[in-house]
Amino acid sequence: MRKKPHIVLRTTVILLVLFVAILINLPFIWMLVTSFKTEDAAFTIPPSFLPTIFDFRNFVKAFELIPLSQYVVNTLFVALAVTLLQLVFNSLAAYGLARIRFKGSSIVFMVLIGTLMVPPEVTMVPLYVIVKQFGWINQYKALIVPFMSSAFGIFLLRQFFMGIPRELEEAAIIDGASRMRIFLKIIIPLSKPALYTMSLYTFLAHWNEYMWPLIVINDAKKQMIQVGISQFVSGWETQWTMRMAASTTAVLPIIVFFFFVQRQFVEGISISGLKE
Amino acid sequence: MKWVGLENYIRMFETPDFWGSLWTTVLYVLGTVVPSVILGLLIAMLLNIEWLKGKGIFRTLFYIPVVTSMAAAAVIWGWLYEPNFGLVNYFLSWFGIKSIKWLSDPNYALLGLIIVGVWKRVGYNMVLFLAGLQTIPRTYYEAAEIDGATSWDKFRSITLPLLSPTTLFVVIMQFIASFRVFVSVSVMTRGGPAKSTQVITYYLYENAFRYLKFGYASAIAVFMFALMVVLTLIQFAISKKRVHYS
Repeated sequence: MRKKPHIVLRTTVILLVLFVAILINLPFIWMLVTSFKTEDAAFTIPPSFLPTIFDFRNFVKAFELIPLSQYVVNTLFVALAVTLLQLVFNSLAAYGLARIRFKGSSIVFMVLIGTLMVPPEVTMVPLYVIVKQFGWINQYKALIVPFMSSAFGIFLLRQFFMGIPRELEEAAIIDGASRMRIFLKIIIPLSKPALYTMSLYTFLAHWNEYMWPLIVINDAKKQMIQVGISQFVSGWETQWTMRMAASTTAVLPIIVFFFFVQRQFVEGISISGLKE
Repeated sequence: MKWVGLENYIRMFETPDFWGSLWTTVLYVLGTVVPSVILGLLIAMLLNIEWLKGKGIFRTLFYIPVVTSMAAAAVIWGWLYEPNFGLVNYFLSWFGIKSIKWLSDPNYALLGLIIVGVWKRVGYNMVLFLAGLQTIPRTYYEAAEIDGATSWDKFRSITLPLLSPTTLFVVIMQFIASFRVFVSVSVMTRGGPAKSTQVITYYLYENAFRYLKFGYASAIAVFMFALMVVLTLIQFAISKKRVHYS
């Protein structure tokens, strides 16, 4: 065993790490503080790091000025729908690719992995043209259907399924279980951690999505939260206390949620290293 | 729509705005990759110190900007960059730096976006580096210490070479992420002022959805994709000899 270094060095390092942690999160601290300030208190030099009002006045005003509660409901609906659909379709596709050998199965897999290299910015124009032809502009279908499955999710689950011992399935096959039954009764229960991680990524990605709803949704009532809080509404630009209240509504639930699920999340990233 | 052959590509290469957006993107990419990779490595090394307590909580705290949305982050940074009452200019005033119009001065707007981009990604790079650092056996460092190696020796001769596959991966991922910058531009500057932040994704977006030139926008998209593939291949080729795989 090595000796612990001197107390001065240890304290310095801890203070340094603490300083960096506060600095990195200062924008969020500042957002929260500003959302609990009066207009006058927000615009002072030197700025005060303490809130001046202790009620949700700015939040109430923000919810009145822009349809914020509507945004929250819309975004929850879309993000949950996408997550549920991806659970179904990604796991089915991943099981097929992990266990069933068919003609060209490796080519299908390679093409799938290849699409991971194509960023959404590249495909947004053709995707928009398709969605428009379907008459889906301003409809949630445009936000849900193209994302019913994802190459990343399929890849993640396939890798996990590959690690499940085949012997478990072979025993079930001898007992006469069908593929579907094996999938539902053996594979899915054993894959809960992977399904959980995938659901977290998917939900978060769609809660945070900005570009695609910006393109396909123009109706303010149907808008997603990220576009809703960042678009300029007249008289909104300089209302920083209200804008910070709106941002808090979009950001704080995610931060709190992240504290509970961070283990699955961060470790998933170290393993796959693929998704933000 | 009708078939126009290579017309969109020819027009693209003849348009100064296209080259301008490409140059702006290059500046943004170079401006973000180096600091976000170096800072990510430094923070990872801090968190990898054997006797540091509370690593888990710090890792979570450093990761918060990564999981929050760029749209909300851009709104928040808009407030931080406010010229008269923003926190950034207030801190700078301590060092005698006069008020900077971060998002409305063409000389500073891109730098403003670069700072946000680095801030948003450092935690992600840190997690990847941390995973890489944890694969280096402690015994290597202990052996080096017995031989009287300094901290710098250990960093240069053990950490850096053994971390090179991770570093390559982080750099490529950061390159691609930076190249795709869109949300912060769309929320904070809309490509302005004076096109100083018109990166290629925003140029693509404007052509497609503001001027409704889908053909032209698609040509930009294809060019973008080709460029990303080429960049990735070049990086792999360059580093093939320089990266140490254990």
